[in-house]
Amino acid sequence: MGSIFGALRIVLSLAAATLLWEYGAPLVGIPSYVLPVPSVIAAKFWATRMVQLSHIMDTATTTLLGLALALVVGVFLALAVVYFKTLRALMVPMLAAFNSIPKIAIAPLLVIWFGLEMESKVVMAFLLAMFPIFVNSVTGLGEIEPDIIDLSRLSGGTPWRIFTHVRLYHAAPYLTDALKIAFPLALVGSVVGEFIGGNRGVGYLVLSGQLQIDTPLVFATLLSITILATLGSGAIELFERFFLSWRPSMRTQ
Amino acid sequence: MRAQANLSLSLPLEGRAAVCPAHSSPKGASAVAPLAVNVEHLTKAFRGKTALSDISFKARQNQFVSIVGPSGCGKSTVLKMIAGLIEPTSGSLTVDGQRVQAPLRNASMVFQAPVLMPWRTVLGNVLFCIQMRGDSAASYREQALELIKLAGLAGFENHYPHQLSGGMQQRVSICRALLVRPALLLMDEPFGALDVLTRERMGFELQKLWSLERYTALFVTHSITEAVLLSDSIVVMPGMVGRMPAVTIEIDLPRPRLAGIMKDPRFVELAALVREQIEAGWVE
Repeated sequence: MGSIFGALRIVLSLAAATLLWEYGAPLVGIPSYVLPVPSVIAAKFWATRMVQLSHIMDTATTTLLGLALALVVGVFLALAVVYFKTLRALMVPMLAAFNSIPKIAIAPLLVIWFGLEMESKVVMAFLLAMFPIFVNSVTGLGEIEPDIIDLSRLSGGTPWRIFTHVRLYHAAPYLTDALKIAFPLALVGSVVGEFIGGNRGVGYLVLSGQLQIDTPLVFATLLSITILATLGSGAIELFERFFLSWRPSMRTQ
Repeated sequence: MRAQANLSLSLPLEGRAAVCPAHSSPKGASAVAPLAVNVEHLTKAFRGKTALSDISFKARQNQFVSIVGPSGCGKSTVLKMIAGLIEPTSGSLTVDGQRVQAPLRNASMVFQAPVLMPWRTVLGNVLFCIQMRGDSAASYREQALELIKLAGLAGFENHYPHQLSGGMQQRVSICRALLVRPALLLMDEPFGALDVLTRERMGFELQKLWSLERYTALFVTHSITEAVLLSDSIVVMPGMVGRMPAVTIEIDLPRPRLAGIMKDPRFVELAALVREQIEAGWVE
């Protein structure tokens, strides 16, 4: 009952905002090339739906590839840090320093190194997504309550058994949280890569809309990006609901 | 005693025949049982600060030994050293005649907090140490369920820890410790976080579960009543200031000890004796 009412409230307030935008913007004299009204954006989105779909598929591909790469490398580096304590003092400050470089500033360099095709976008997505995954994996895999480790060792637990029965499970919620941050970041990476060069992806589509001062196209493409972002975070949430129902935030009364 | 025998029948034994004689033997037999734990002049310093100085005591096989003493006297440190989890600075320490050099492989520990894994159900948590040992959980399922039932947790097998009360969680952790049939059962203030009423009941429950197989048990506690109720002997550790030696008090109350025993004159007398020893350590 409460959730139905809550959903209704969201729909109503969204509808109110859309109506205000639709009729308010022309009323105060904002021209369509500055801020197109929702009906114009929707029409443009529908008219360009096949183009949108083909470009968003490219962006989705580079985003997911970058994210997958970030997951593999991030977890691998975290394992190295967790199991080799001396590496920790060396690697954590180094990675933190690297992370403080604004990666968008090195995007042109990536084009020189990896070309204008998919590769440079995947690398950009990877660079943005890797750090949060690394940091969360270090905590999730490493910061196990000492009592649990003691208990495991006293019954003859080997490091491998402790890894598969304790560390992995303990890390799962941390990794899901990392993905919630890393997925949008990887998407940003892909789109920025597409801004810099190439003729594929929603970043390119936004840019071509800008060059033709086709503001409705820009907005329609933003709608596509929003849909992709929502699908991604929805998938993560679904995973959480099915496999991590034990974590405090997922418990139902 | 008869009730005890019934309980042990419902939990099939395998290869623990050595436990049985002590089980049915009259009191006094434990005096000739071989040494399980021998602690001699044990000292531990952390970064130059003494946490424990010159402690000696013994525990015989199938005995329940409590360690009491003021807070900060190093009770938990002793327990962890016996488990081989931390190294003593000096002194000697043997478990079953062997010098302890690495973490024991067949001991189990119950901590003050239940230390349950939130991603495992009650049954899964009870089976945890079995899996750590490398045995298949499936072959211990029946025994685990039996133990869960004996601990009064029937019907909660598939619940997650957060759905249980503190007392129930601690019972799960005791079941987990017992399922591996440990050569040495170490308990570090297991009821310290519970309210007084739950705590008293848990004392009796622990006695019941322990009586099934009488694992050699070391039990750290703050509660004198609890120590007298459960133990065959009590080691009173001195405070850091007094520098007195640890004193062992034998508890010769017959088992099983039922609820009324706390009013028994002998019980009261022994409790007073333990208190006297603790208070002797207070004087500077």
